[in-house]
Amino acid sequence: MGEALLRTDKLSVSFGGIHALRETNIEINPGEIVAIIGSNGAGKSSMMNAISGVVKYSGEIEFKGRPLPKQAHRIVSAGISHVPEGRLIFANLTTMENLRMGAYLRNDARAVAKTLERVLDMFPRLKERENQIAGTLSGGEQQMLAMGRGLMSDPELLLLDEPSLGLAPILVDTIFDIIKEIKQMGKTILLVEQNAYKALSVADRAYVLTQGRITLEGPACDVMTNPVVVEAYLGKKRNRLIQDTAE
Amino acid sequence: MINGLSLGSVYALMAVGYSLVYSIMNFSNFAHGGVIMVGAYIGYFAMTAANLPFWLAFVLCGVGAGLLAVLLELLVYTPLRNRNAPFLYYIISAMGASIFLENFVIATIGPTYRTYPQVFSTEPFRLGALSLSRIDLMIIAVAAVGLVALVIIIDKTKIGLGIRASSFSIKASQLMGVNVNVTIFIVFLLGGILAGFAGMLFGMKYTVYPTIGAITTKSFVAAVFGGLGSLPGAIIGSVLLGVIEVLVSGYLSSNFRDLIAFVILIGILIVKPTGLMGKTSEDKA
Repeated sequence: MGEALLRTDKLSVSFGGIHALRETNIEINPGEIVAIIGSNGAGKSSMMNAISGVVKYSGEIEFKGRPLPKQAHRIVSAGISHVPEGRLIFANLTTMENLRMGAYLRNDARAVAKTLERVLDMFPRLKERENQIAGTLSGGEQQMLAMGRGLMSDPELLLLDEPSLGLAPILVDTIFDIIKEIKQMGKTILLVEQNAYKALSVADRAYVLTQGRITLEGPACDVMTNPVVVEAYLGKKRNRLIQDTAE
Repeated sequence: MINGLSLGSVYALMAVGYSLVYSIMNFSNFAHGGVIMVGAYIGYFAMTAANLPFWLAFVLCGVGAGLLAVLLELLVYTPLRNRNAPFLYYIISAMGASIFLENFVIATIGPTYRTYPQVFSTEPFRLGALSLSRIDLMIIAVAAVGLVALVIIIDKTKIGLGIRASSFSIKASQLMGVNVNVTIFIVFLLGGILAGFAGMLFGMKYTVYPTIGAITTKSFVAAVFGGLGSLPGAIIGSVLLGVIEVLVSGYLSSNFRDLIAFVILIGILIVKPTGLMGKTSEDKA
């Protein structure tokens, strides 16, 4: 087994007696995209929030062979950046101020300028909207801003929580192209998605979460063809949607 | 008019403290009045008991009030935050802290009114046909410098960016690496320093007494008036309130002063519930 970038050991999260995540062990190797799939409430976001230090957890998280600090700001400086579900961009600040917030802990102005240039190259739309108040950006632009902001800390590991949520199909494709591009930059990505098909098609490996437990793990292509996954998250999805709307 | 501007300036120095804390923590820090009162006493004793020159006393009172505000945050609000207490608890604790401070001062220093030694000559400053009171000019100058400095800190510095980001979402700013505890300390420190200045200046214009903090009711009104959480709103609201109060006292009767101030407040809140420059409610969601 190679040296994992991040490894969790019996990671559990609970909210007032409700177990959101039960003793999960995952491993993320440098340079790969790892997808976590599962239905609503399976514990996907709890796992991300635990890693980035915004919820309390039990168990261990190891990053680059060392225990991960517990306070959110120290986790950022350790090299993990979390692009949260719902984007949580600062709607009261401009696009540029949002990006500057992403580099909050970095003091080397020249290095930050370089990262900024790369981010604006990757998201030309953000450059056009530089001085616009972020709350007035469209949904797709806000997602791009959230991802750009996440990259501004120049992280080694990027946590992407539901990056395609609420976006038009054409934008979903754009976002996934960008995810591949980020991987090519040499970043490691942990991706949480409800759009299991899309997630599995860009991921190297995947974990399936069911009610807070990991029920399946393996290379993305194996997970994608696993009959249980096909049944629950891929093949029958359309049928179920039709059923849901019929009810 | 100048009198109104100077009163408004004192309100503004206090109101920005309410606004800053509210913008991040979403509650009204009613202990702010206690900080102002302690600031006024620090200035008073620095000049009388310790016989320090005015400027030194002034600096001391800013530092002391700033530290007191941070101490309140550490002792009163941090434990609540660590337990995710509902916001009502913050307000109740703030009132408790305020009552404690008042009574502590009454018990130790005594309830009497005290007058600052005279610093500025009462001889008015003449500018053409205008004669201006020196203390009023001093108050306006201090407020202008203090408020401009505050706005620069909030708008132009990285700390200020962090404060503005935290006022939108604490969670998201944590994910950016902002140490929220430090940011909140800084907010209390800035608000406390300006509150100390306000207390000392107000004490010099009038007198010092343990319930002097009650005037923060007015500055709170001004902050709501301008839109809680908005710094320019707090400043504009304060100046307006000060001028209105003085005009009403001058042209009608000082009995109508508070009545009219509050009627205007209620009127504004009916028309625009978030105040003149307040955030719209969906901003804060």
